[in-house]
Amino acid sequence: MPILAYRDALNQAMLEEMERDDNVYLMGEEVAEYNGAYKVSQGLWEKFGSRRVIDTPISEGGFSGIGIGSAMVGLRPIIEFMTFSFSLVAIDQILNNAANMRYMSGGQFSVPIVFRGSSGMAGCLAATHSHRLESIYAHFPGLTVVMPATAADAKGLLKSAIRSDDPVIFIEHENLYGEKGEVPEGDHLTPIGKANVVRAGSDVTMLTYSRSLITTLAAAEQLAGEGVSAEVIDLRTLRPLDMDTILASVLKTHRCVIIEENWPYCGIGAGVADRIYQQVFDELDAPIRRVTAKDAPIPYNRKLEASMLPTVERIVAKVNDVLYRKA
Amino acid sequence: MIWLDEGFEFRPSHSQNTVENRSSRHEISGDSQVPIEVKLAKVSPTMESGQIVKWLVKVGDKVKEGDTIAEVQTDKAVMPVETFDDGIVARIDVLEGVDIPLGTRILVLAKKGEDPKQVAESYAGTGAAAPAAAQTAAPVQAAAVAVAPVASAEAASASGRVKSTPLARKVAESAGVDIASVPGSGPAGRIIRADVEAYASSASQPKSAPVPAKAAAPKPAPKLFVPLGEDERIPLDRMRQAIARGMIAAKTQAPEIHVTVDIRMDEIVRVRERLNKSLAAEGVKLSVGDFVTKAVAMSLRRHPAVNATFQGDNANLGQAVIVRHAAVNVGIAVALEGGLIVPVLRNADVYGLRDIRVESEKLYENARSGRLSVEQMTGGTFTISNLGMFGVKQFDAVLALPQVAILAVAAAEKRPIVVNDQLTVGTMMTVTLTADHRGVDGAAAAEFLRTLKSFLEEPTSMLL
Repeated sequence: MPILAYRDALNQAMLEEMERDDNVYLMGEEVAEYNGAYKVSQGLWEKFGSRRVIDTPISEGGFSGIGIGSAMVGLRPIIEFMTFSFSLVAIDQILNNAANMRYMSGGQFSVPIVFRGSSGMAGCLAATHSHRLESIYAHFPGLTVVMPATAADAKGLLKSAIRSDDPVIFIEHENLYGEKGEVPEGDHLTPIGKANVVRAGSDVTMLTYSRSLITTLAAAEQLAGEGVSAEVIDLRTLRPLDMDTILASVLKTHRCVIIEENWPYCGIGAGVADRIYQQVFDELDAPIRRVTAKDAPIPYNRKLEASMLPTVERIVAKVNDVLYRKA
Repeated sequence: MIWLDEGFEFRPSHSQNTVENRSSRHEISGDSQVPIEVKLAKVSPTMESGQIVKWLVKVGDKVKEGDTIAEVQTDKAVMPVETFDDGIVARIDVLEGVDIPLGTRILVLAKKGEDPKQVAESYAGTGAAAPAAAQTAAPVQAAAVAVAPVASAEAASASGRVKSTPLARKVAESAGVDIASVPGSGPAGRIIRADVEAYASSASQPKSAPVPAKAAAPKPAPKLFVPLGEDERIPLDRMRQAIARGMIAAKTQAPEIHVTVDIRMDEIVRVRERLNKSLAAEGVKLSVGDFVTKAVAMSLRRHPAVNATFQGDNANLGQAVIVRHAAVNVGIAVALEGGLIVPVLRNADVYGLRDIRVESEKLYENARSGRLSVEQMTGGTFTISNLGMFGVKQFDAVLALPQVAILAVAAAEKRPIVVNDQLTVGTMMTVTLTADHRGVDGAAAAEFLRTLKSFLEEPTSMLL
């Protein structure tokens, strides 16, 4: 299987889908002639031309709205946000129009659109450009929220997202663009709404997604050396959540730790933990613990920023907590 | 360091940007700005009083949650006493070496912001009596005293609340373990699954604890949303272990014989119908099984060799005895979810059918709800196992040692039979007596069955 970087896997997904379906087009800031701020759209403008790869002014609200309108009349737009932090100025279009259109029109219109772009604390981007907005988008009925952690899933999920008949928030992690992995060739589709058991284990369930998967796997490796068998699950889709996979694991391990780069309050883990408690409270042998970013604006200083992130040490500490282990 | 605290909440104002106390269980019980009364809590199931053997703190000492503050002598052992709270020791109420009843206040903690001296004054008076000052003020919190996990103790607070995980409670229920008697090893004495399992498998359980009727195999986990595909491994709970032990003993120690007889039940069916009509007003409805119980009990009265227990072991038969029991106490096996239990109908031979029905119903009810008394579970001299309700044609039961016999009762069903050389239809029931050949010979077993058969085929003969 070819080894591709996460960014190239995304590129391949768009290329294949644009070749497959003439209705698919890409629009955003610098996506055409400059090949994208993170080079995810490398070569697409050259291949498909200005009809299907469109540079926009710095006007997220405007081009998001154009994208939604075009999706309502039959196109399949991919809207790139240079970073998801900038989606905040288009959030009315996304939450009110994209998410609600099918419902408000009584099913007359669907909005097959993908909003994609980078996100997260990526190194000295400071508070306003380091947002993790997945829990905001996952809060809204009508949206699908997808966050791939690996190159293979980047391709497979983006292809599935482009083919979805409803709006998909497709959030990439800026620090994952260079991560390499095996990527299946051709029509590789990762199903939306399906989590992935990345590492099987029996003592504790670790739920995570996006870049935190790497840290979580490192923590699981360290725990294995200490005799703790941790099961690591990459959620991949945050809405709809794959409760079958989550509960099957929790019913096996009876303990759960959720790892994310979000802030703790109303973060993804808060919602996931609630759903676990609602359904299998009697199966838990310890309260669910969470490892999150610290509850503060993201600092510019590199070391302070790093201190915000879940680390192997913090993850292991929470696992020890739920296992009643002394470190 | 605040950055490493998951509970840290960012506040934009400089003055407030500190970690605040996270909510603790004490806030749940109301005003947190009240001194804390530490009372002597029950740390062993049978304990009624205790003695502070040694105080490990003195007035003015700062203590925090989890600190060992004293050693207490219970009826079982000397155990360390922990506090669940932070504070300053304002007052010690109890001297070392004095026996005090449960619930006696032993210590008062001043909380942060309170003056220990003032607190001590307001709590002047004996520990046992609630101080007037405190009564006029806010009601005093009763704080819990926890015992270190190594001790045999309960994680119950003074208010009786036991801290345990949901899974631990579920496992305890399945295993028939009283969660309150399990020592907890988690934070603040929280009982976790491993504690329950260790407790359930330890041999130190009180002998008087009856086989839990309510016990059952662990309930299947909610499966709706769980894909199939894994084998289920079910550890033996106490009931299953007890059943297994009993069956192994019977099959390895007692040489069994089986004697089977068919009994025509048409007369019983008719009598039952008539009696049930006259009992309808009382709301009592006799079952065929009740007639069997009655007939068995009366047959046992006539065949004391079958109403017996074999006492002794095979390696030393010189010392063994067969005890023919004066009372006829009939055990009736009751199936439960994941097991079975055998409540005993004492002196069954002297009961009329109505009382047999009423008493049996009580026993079933208690068996299913796990409320059988020791009296209702012991002293059986013979056992009936009835699978008739499942339509079973015939089966063999395994002895309930030390009883020398057990009767397996199958379904009463219509069968072709031969009467006076004529083929006809009769309601037939097949019963099989399993007997311990060490104590009962085949002929004795057959004689017992002949009597039983005649009682059931000719019910009026029971009046003789």
